[in-house]
Amino acid sequence: MKKMITTDNLTELWARLAEESTLYLPVQDGPMVLFQPWQEGVQVDLEAFNSAVSPKDIFLPREETYLNYRCSGQALELDAVEDDRAITAFGIHPCDLKAIEMLDRVFIEQDPPDNLYQKRRENTTVVALSCTNPDPFCFCGVFDVNPLDAPGADVMAHLVDGSLHLEARTEKGKALLEKAGDLLEDSTVDIAKREVKTADFGLNVKGLPEDLKSRFEDPVWDELYKSCLSCGVCTYVCPTCYCFDVEDYGHEAKGERFRCWDSCMFGHFTQMAGGHNPRPSRKERVRQRFMHKLQYYHEAYGEIACVGCGRCLRSCPVNLDIVQAIKALGGEKVEQR
Amino acid sequence: MAERNLEQLEKIREVVSQDLLSGRIELLLGWEKGHYWWQSRPLFARSKDDLAKLTWDSFCAVNLSRYLLEELKDHQKVGVLVKGCDSRAFNRLLQDNMVERDRVVLYGLPCPGILDYKLLAAEAGPELKGIAEENGKIVLKTASGEVEVKRDQFLMAKCRECLYPDPVVYDQMLLEPQGKKEAPERFKAVDELETLTPEERFAYWEKELSRCLRCYACRQACPYCSCRECFVEQENPRWQGRAYQPSENFLFHLVRAYHGAGRCIDCGECQRACPVDIPLQELNRKLIKDINELYGDYEAGLDAELEPPLLTYRPDDPAAFSEK
Amino acid sequence: MSTALNDKTTGYEPLIVAFCCNWCSYAGGDLAGTSRMSYPANVRVIRVPCCGRMNPMFVLRAFQRGADGVLVAGCHPGDCHYSTGNYHGRRRLSAFKRLVEFAGFEPERFEVRWISSSEGDKFAEEMEQMTAKIKALGPNRKMRDARWQSVT
Repeated sequence: MKKMITTDNLTELWARLAEESTLYLPVQDGPMVLFQPWQEGVQVDLEAFNSAVSPKDIFLPREETYLNYRCSGQALELDAVEDDRAITAFGIHPCDLKAIEMLDRVFIEQDPPDNLYQKRRENTTVVALSCTNPDPFCFCGVFDVNPLDAPGADVMAHLVDGSLHLEARTEKGKALLEKAGDLLEDSTVDIAKREVKTADFGLNVKGLPEDLKSRFEDPVWDELYKSCLSCGVCTYVCPTCYCFDVEDYGHEAKGERFRCWDSCMFGHFTQMAGGHNPRPSRKERVRQRFMHKLQYYHEAYGEIACVGCGRCLRSCPVNLDIVQAIKALGGEKVEQR
Repeated sequence: MAERNLEQLEKIREVVSQDLLSGRIELLLGWEKGHYWWQSRPLFARSKDDLAKLTWDSFCAVNLSRYLLEELKDHQKVGVLVKGCDSRAFNRLLQDNMVERDRVVLYGLPCPGILDYKLLAAEAGPELKGIAEENGKIVLKTASGEVEVKRDQFLMAKCRECLYPDPVVYDQMLLEPQGKKEAPERFKAVDELETLTPEERFAYWEKELSRCLRCYACRQACPYCSCRECFVEQENPRWQGRAYQPSENFLFHLVRAYHGAGRCIDCGECQRACPVDIPLQELNRKLIKDINELYGDYEAGLDAELEPPLLTYRPDDPAAFSEK
Repeated sequence: MSTALNDKTTGYEPLIVAFCCNWCSYAGGDLAGTSRMSYPANVRVIRVPCCGRMNPMFVLRAFQRGADGVLVAGCHPGDCHYSTGNYHGRRRLSAFKRLVEFAGFEPERFEVRWISSSEGDKFAEEMEQMTAKIKALGPNRKMRDARWQSVT
């Protein structure tokens, strides 16, 4: 079922989708584009290359309360918080959708699964959007992401000559297009003809995860970390980082327990109650982050936890990004090892 | 890159190679190119091979002085390339007793201001292949030809209102000083915000701060944020909650800015480091402006011997309360 | 603090947090009490050693957890028990007051007063005035932690 909608009709489409679900889409916020809930009057930017922060927070919010507690004497009452909202995630680029599928393995394909994440994921219809405008930092090709197609999408969308071409791929996707109904026309444009060029920085990651298995003490780590400022930019803009912390707000008698993003780049991330810190310096923390992306995740799930979205390249204040790390570790096309 | 830069780079390399190879310094903090011509990253040079990567051009934004905090733990003597703001950052660390002056060799680099690639690309389009510079002009080179533009318009936000492009503390000045600059619009944004009503101002900050990810890049990049334990990580009392509530964002940003009262050198590294472009310099400059207004002109980092205004007092000081 | 205090429909009573210096203003408050002067019960006094000990986070935390106004009271300049604490406090709190106003707080929300231990009458009067001003201004929602009321 291939359909198209003219950009004039998009606002009406969004208004309809927002009536029945929380609709997240790329919105101009001040100087940048971020995924935010749609509301009347927001400036949606479907042509932006990539949002400044990844859309992972649709499923893994920066902060969420999951438990309310009340305590009197010996009696303790616990209320689990549920999130039953229907969600539409509109305009997710193929790289970001692949990243979300990586999070699925961590949060859903486990026993027991994370029910808050799982429910949100199940209640979401994903409208993926192919890339028209990759910037110099996009290098998704290195990780076999096709910027023109997102296999996991419910609806695949392409922006061509001022119209949005939509193809439903799942039942959820069909239901979404039915809601759009009269706003849609039949599409005849051949999407396959388009071509998008992304950077590759001369990278070749084949064999890198296996190689890294024995390189925990590699001298590369003694140098690579030096410029790291120990801030959390890379982890917070990254679509595949998923670490969180749990904290309480309130007091003995009443309060709530929430989880919120945390970053392995912070010194306190691994601080233990007794004072011991197994990752005391930037070296261990930088190694942890890149080893997790390039080796640990691969060992657990068979894939490198990077989709080449380029956000760390764009945002790291000192340009210590995953490309630099891969290069330093020898993941270049020219055989150096 | 332009010839001027290459000439300068050769001169810099000559001096620092000599010092590094003769053992006067064990480590040189400089810059090397990033993935693209408009990027640079810190270089930690210990050998001649390392120095081959050294670069000096209009994109060496990172303030290197801060790295002294870590590098002086491992090295007896460290050389640092300092621009104007980096040298004031060094003074800041010196004043806080975070570094020892005689263990650091400062190489002064008068700085024409760092260029912002985003602005250049917005002007030239994504086809921008490179630039050449001469006499306050930039030539933008694109596939379809060359365009000449004025350099001033493409400076990073942090450089636009720079007062002291020349290093104020150094052991050796490597290039020709440029003299003090004018910054007529330094407090313009602050002045404009001050004319708003409290409600409007609150709405403005609430919106700007709502983007905050609490990645603490502003703090980590800052030369005055050198506390061994920041209030953010303090456990008892726990001042800074982890939640992304507006009230928590306000607490962090007000306290971060306030800790720089009379200490902030206005280098703008916080704002440059911010991944979501929060106008942090407006908060910093508000404090600079007020303190100068109330307690006399003071520029942090200019002179390490001068006492910062909030560490001292005069019995007849004015106050900003409704009762004076 | 009680929610009822902040509810306009039940008659709005503001909550004022007053940080009082141990040596002058707190003693001034004591004098007001022993002299049987009355001042509004809206004011909750927290004793600090000196107004120079004020951490700006004390003020912000008060706003987060329900204060409608915050007052810092110290010895008159020149009378500090620690000689110079309030001189330093004057500079720091001046800069801080301007900063919180810049963030969008009304100037009345945060004030500093000099009250000596013999000024029981001034203590009572300042508390009266602060309460009246905040009452006129209405409840403070800025920087209030949205979660605070649900857990109290």
